[in-house]
Amino acid sequence: MSAELIYQGILMGCMVVLAVLILVSIIRSVRGPKTADRIIAVNMIGTMTIVIIAILSVYMKEDYLTDVCLIYAMVSFLAVVVLTKVYTGVYRERKEREKEEKKE
Amino acid sequence: MMEWVRLSASAVLLFLGLLIFLAAAVGVNKFKKALNRIHAAALGDTLGILFMTLGLVVWKGISFASFKLLLVVLFFWLASPVAGHMISRLEVMTDEDLGEIEVEHREDI
Amino acid sequence: MSRLRKDYETSRFRRFEKWVDGEAAPPEFRMETKAPLKRIPPEELSGPRLNEEKINAEVYDERHNKELKIFQVVNKFASVALCVTLIGVLLWTVIYLPEFGNPDNPTNNEVAARYIEKGVEETGATNFVTGMILDYRAFDTFGESCVLFIAATCVQVLMRLDNSDDRKKMKKKQAEENDRIYEPKNDLILQKVSCVLVPLLFIFGIYIILNGHLSPGGGFSGGAIIGSGLILYLNAFGFKKTERFFTEKTFRRITLAALTFYCLAKSYSFFTGANHLESGIPLGTPGAILSSGLILPLNICVGLVVACTMYAFYTLFRKGGM
Repeated sequence: MSAELIYQGILMGCMVVLAVLILVSIIRSVRGPKTADRIIAVNMIGTMTIVIIAILSVYMKEDYLTDVCLIYAMVSFLAVVVLTKVYTGVYRERKEREKEEKKE
Repeated sequence: MMEWVRLSASAVLLFLGLLIFLAAAVGVNKFKKALNRIHAAALGDTLGILFMTLGLVVWKGISFASFKLLLVVLFFWLASPVAGHMISRLEVMTDEDLGEIEVEHREDI
Repeated sequence: MSRLRKDYETSRFRRFEKWVDGEAAPPEFRMETKAPLKRIPPEELSGPRLNEEKINAEVYDERHNKELKIFQVVNKFASVALCVTLIGVLLWTVIYLPEFGNPDNPTNNEVAARYIEKGVEETGATNFVTGMILDYRAFDTFGESCVLFIAATCVQVLMRLDNSDDRKKMKKKQAEENDRIYEPKNDLILQKVSCVLVPLLFIFGIYIILNGHLSPGGGFSGGAIIGSGLILYLNAFGFKKTERFFTEKTFRRITLAALTFYCLAKSYSFFTGANHLESGIPLGTPGAILSSGLILPLNICVGLVVACTMYAFYTLFRKGGM
């Protein structure tokens, strides 16, 4: 049993555990009663995906997958920023309209 | 001999990282309010990803690829707190019943 | 500052500039296509106002129209039936395709074998997927970049607000379309962190574009990253500050320059067929950055077009203009 094979087994185990945690987060993103819960769950799914890609890049011994990690981190951060901005705007606009309708 | 030392160090770090991610996932599911869940989710973003990346770097050795993995961690440490701030601001601005939490309303933030 | 010449308006460069910006018509560059804006004084504008809703209710009588109701019912069923038929036909075709990975497939012919065997030494690119799309099949990639440009132009045609002569009407139209009034702006934390992250994104995008022929990446993915860097800057600082360096004119000029360079470099093969001239740039050693002939400049062109298109889509859908 060489160290390489044992290490590849350990990496495979880590990836399986992280995949199960991703499924758990998906359940939370479907159930969570508010929008903020869903955004948190999606952010966590993104983080765990990044860790899985980093582990894969060591498992398959391909170095270019670390570029993919960095790109995915940037994209998930940008998604959270844009989503919160748009949803706050939509919510506030709805409130203003309800207030105006109540006044009339 | 050196290989087994590296293997055990890397395995310990990976295992600790997995425990932290497990704690984060359990926390997100168990807490009741969204503002508490942000605290649990931030665990994975900071310490979890650091331990797992260190475990991989210890196994791989110093090379260009491990430098890029550390760059991923650096980017995450800069960007993830801002994401948490935006989510908590969303929650405060759109929540109807915050309970006993005091919120300062300022117009320029 | 130098003075403008007296004949600047009719000089060659000014006419070329007007052609690029769409204000003058080809080929003689002398006919103006956009009329100069006339300011109508406000007392001439108020006339008898036509009640549009009443007119529409009389002309398009929707409630007593039997054929319209029949059409609306039939339309639902017909659309579902059409979709199901199309899906059935396409799935039935898939059954007749050859198996995946079969060595007798028509795609495993001598062309693919030649690409794999001689790819590195003929194009000089270590990543011979890039070598294939930017050297052997460069004309197809030119078509793809043109498709991106056409898509951005079509969205702009559909989404922008028409210029009207009245300033007040224009402002009212813009205020109605503006659904960004209620959004939180100028978050201080996001601004300070963007000062660090946006240059990081730009440098990473440029790194991926320049390394297209050495590792997976290339113009398309690098351009997408630069586009997302621009979007992050826009979200942190707002439209006014971004328009200081990226306006509609910048978008037009960058895309025109990139596509023209690509066209001049590679589209002669459309006329000369397979026997094209060798470009004078030497191939270099595979594995170095400055190698593989024309692939590096073409990657940069494609990256610029993709970045501008991504930013254009975002601002067109948010603001209706650039």
